[in-house]
Amino acid sequence: MNRVMKARLFKIFRYAMLLIWSVIVAFPIFWIVSTSFKPDWEWHAWPPVYWSQEASWANYRAVWGREESPRTSTEAETKTARYESHSANKPWQALWNSLYIAITATALSVAFGAILAYGVSRYRILSEIRMFQLLVLRMIPPIVVAAPLTLYYSAIHLMDTALGLIIVYFITTLPYSVWMTKSFVDEVPVEIEQAAEILGATKWQAIREVIFPLIRSGIVATFLFILILTWSEYLLSLMLSKVDVVTLPVQLAKYEGSDEGRVYGHQAALAVGITLPLMVIGIFIRKHLVRGFTFGMVKR
Amino acid sequence: MATATIAQPKGRRSTRARGVRIFKWSALSPLILLFLFLMPVFLLQIYFSLHSWTVYLSTWFDAEFVGLELFQEVLTEGRFWRAMGRSLLFAGLSTLGCFISGFILALLMYKPFRGQAFFYILFILPMLTVPVVIAYTADMLLYEKGPINGFLSYFLPGDLSKFTWLANPDIAIFTIILLEVWNWTPFVFIIMLAGLSSLPSEPVEAARILGANRLQIFREIQLPLLRPVIFLALILRFLEAMAEFPKTWGLIQGGPGTATETIPIYLYFTTWVSFDISKGAAMSYVVMVIMIFIVLTAIYVLRREKRAIDALHETSRTEA
Amino acid sequence: MARIELKGLRKVFGRNIEAVKNLDFTIEEGEFVVIVGPSGCGKTTTLRMVAGFEEPTAGEISIDGRLVNDVDPGDRGVGMVFQTHALFPHKTIAENIEFGPRMKKVPPETRKQKVREVADMVRITHLLHKLPVECSGGEAQRAALARTLITDPAAFLLDEPLSSLDAKLRREMRAEIDRLHEELKKTFVYVTHDQEEAMTLADRIVVMRLGVIEQVGTPLEIYNDPVSYFVADFFGSPSMNLISGKVDNSNGAPAFSGFGIEYTLPDAYAGVASGDYTLGVRPEHIVVGSQDAAFTCDIQLVEPLGKDTLLYFEHGAERPTIAVVEASDRFKEGEQLNITFDPARVYLFEPDGKRVR
Repeated sequence: MNRVMKARLFKIFRYAMLLIWSVIVAFPIFWIVSTSFKPDWEWHAWPPVYWSQEASWANYRAVWGREESPRTSTEAETKTARYESHSANKPWQALWNSLYIAITATALSVAFGAILAYGVSRYRILSEIRMFQLLVLRMIPPIVVAAPLTLYYSAIHLMDTALGLIIVYFITTLPYSVWMTKSFVDEVPVEIEQAAEILGATKWQAIREVIFPLIRSGIVATFLFILILTWSEYLLSLMLSKVDVVTLPVQLAKYEGSDEGRVYGHQAALAVGITLPLMVIGIFIRKHLVRGFTFGMVKR
Repeated sequence: MATATIAQPKGRRSTRARGVRIFKWSALSPLILLFLFLMPVFLLQIYFSLHSWTVYLSTWFDAEFVGLELFQEVLTEGRFWRAMGRSLLFAGLSTLGCFISGFILALLMYKPFRGQAFFYILFILPMLTVPVVIAYTADMLLYEKGPINGFLSYFLPGDLSKFTWLANPDIAIFTIILLEVWNWTPFVFIIMLAGLSSLPSEPVEAARILGANRLQIFREIQLPLLRPVIFLALILRFLEAMAEFPKTWGLIQGGPGTATETIPIYLYFTTWVSFDISKGAAMSYVVMVIMIFIVLTAIYVLRREKRAIDALHETSRTEA
Repeated sequence: MARIELKGLRKVFGRNIEAVKNLDFTIEEGEFVVIVGPSGCGKTTTLRMVAGFEEPTAGEISIDGRLVNDVDPGDRGVGMVFQTHALFPHKTIAENIEFGPRMKKVPPETRKQKVREVADMVRITHLLHKLPVECSGGEAQRAALARTLITDPAAFLLDEPLSSLDAKLRREMRAEIDRLHEELKKTFVYVTHDQEEAMTLADRIVVMRLGVIEQVGTPLEIYNDPVSYFVADFFGSPSMNLISGKVDNSNGAPAFSGFGIEYTLPDAYAGVASGDYTLGVRPEHIVVGSQDAAFTCDIQLVEPLGKDTLLYFEHGAERPTIAVVEASDRFKEGEQLNITFDPARVYLFEPDGKRVR
């Protein structure tokens, strides 16, 4: 077999493999998107409906639309209303909570992470071993401190508050923001900063004029990366929120208990709403994604 | 030239060094404050693990002191160790699965070809999906009358609309392993891709000139150079998989029975479903000790590998 | 104009890596001093201490009589050119040059004016609107020079500014720096590991080794009168022939012998004690084809360099002995020759490296 033949065979093999994996990746995504447009009789049809015959925005309207909840019987009202108010018609509230909590926690984490990262990169304010120990914050499953954390939060009235969630999100994402921004600061040669200083810039001017512009895109990438983590966090949110600060992932989970059985269409519509922004962000920062977890192991 | 010429007056030394010190402590102090703020959590944890309290009992602070009884209970409990075993199986197999598929994809894709960007974007999507969403999507896909059974019924005889992926205790755990693999293969994929494309091309070319074939180059040159990245991918994946909760909980809550009850699920169940706070705390301790042991080992390995790669990239900047 | 004084300067990295050990040295106003030495000799650390980027472990640095140990780099009145030009990659060349005055709050019109002046001085006016990545190595280094020039420092510190350039550019830039020094008459402190740069640029050379000053002198002093084996070996290309052997001075006429060489040392060494020594002769002070012979050897290799020709003799020493002769076709490889040394230019070094005088 000559070189050309081999190369061609490899090419065919590659595309075949990639196509197979593409189907594996794309099909579930396709399915949830397609389900979100299906009317209810298609959700459970057998054989399954792949391409809806009567696609509509009905599910989205039901989930995201302005609430026009059908006033049913008054007897069951207490129970239903309670249930309704906590689940079905609160996606906007949950969206607002998610946005507020995720963005605040992420901003804090990245801002503080960047300061630490700069200090570590330039002055080694944390030794290498401390930097690795920082990872413990991320690597110990949060569930192991869950019970006492909940009680403690109840005691100091942080339970079911945005601040409470912001604090834990800040802590658990800090290792990634420090490591990620550090990799960006490391890439700016020390000489450049020193050149600025010897030309008369103060430390602060040097950072503002030289360092920051050079790592800005990295900071943005870090921000979005951490945002993905906090946005999709589930366990802590499930434990530390009850009514007031329910976030989107928890909100989605609340459909599970509903009596009408599996409301696939609504779930799908909500799920698409939650996931779409993440995918857009992720695609946007795809080149930087890897930095969050390579911990300096990949040099470029 | 004598050594003791000019004694440096101590007081005047280094305004610059002082500035750095101030910066250092003002940067670190929030971290320390935060730690102090969370300290009570750990104290509470100790308290609960030594006292017997569930929410059904009266106030928590006059719970009965039971010493190490709860620890004994946890450590001798079959259900706990089965959950631990399941967690290790889940983490191990899913890590392996993610690694194999992610690495193969990276190997297929690290050299430029037509469509590379498209496939890259497509392949990272699962990682960008909210885990709970994956749970519900899986529910829809694997539902008896879902598309997976629908698709399979084209090829397989019999009525598949009764076949369940999740209700069968022998299959359920592997189903969630597959979900984990679907979710996190992109993670290994992008790490390995970054690793592969950062490899210097000269050694590979040199090996080719010296007559090595593809496989030999892979084994002798690329694999050893990639070792740190491989370790990193395996370790991070394993640790994250040990903590996996949203998919398993969202999809089957550890069921059927306890067939998919991993450690995070069991802990959650004990604390939030049975409300057995004290047992949960004791269990948390046991898990924490085991996890800390695993994490420290992981950190040891990561540091070793990091030092190796830093040494490799040490340029001629040693000039003093 | 600046006079830079270093007193008892010492720098320890970490716990016990002593990069600079007790340095005493004064750089006079307007002088071009080159600090030269191999990697790890402490030359860059010294320069960085003068600039203010490294804190001395002990000792004092004064510029024009003012103690600057505690002064920030930007306030020391020095300018620095880095090995990697260190231009700000996100700013155009003009913005780069403008940076210093801008930090000092110089009004924009004055700034623009000065930018044009210095750009003209180093001939990069046509590059002002470009980004550093669009410039060649030489152009970038010129821009870095301009950026330093505009702040009008009393002293220029240059840290191997040419080492990332190719040979031809390096020679060009060397001339440029020399010209700038001539024009500005400012103090220049230049660090390099390249002995040729040191020889061509310096008013005075400081040779450093393992954190201490080995020798200070004008280029010619250093070349003709090295204090040690190390200095002798470091300067000159091709480097000095250094042959280890023994000196026998039992009968009043000291004779060197080693690796087939039997050479009666000139009268200057009459008082030398018998023992192990190293004999040093520069390639241009080897006399070939003479009547009397220190040794006889075959030419191993003839290397024509154009103006000169190098002859290599292999006689068992650590390195082949090299002689420089005027270019000619007279010599053939394998030819046997008598070889001796110019008696006025023979150096003798003790086993610890010190020169015998």
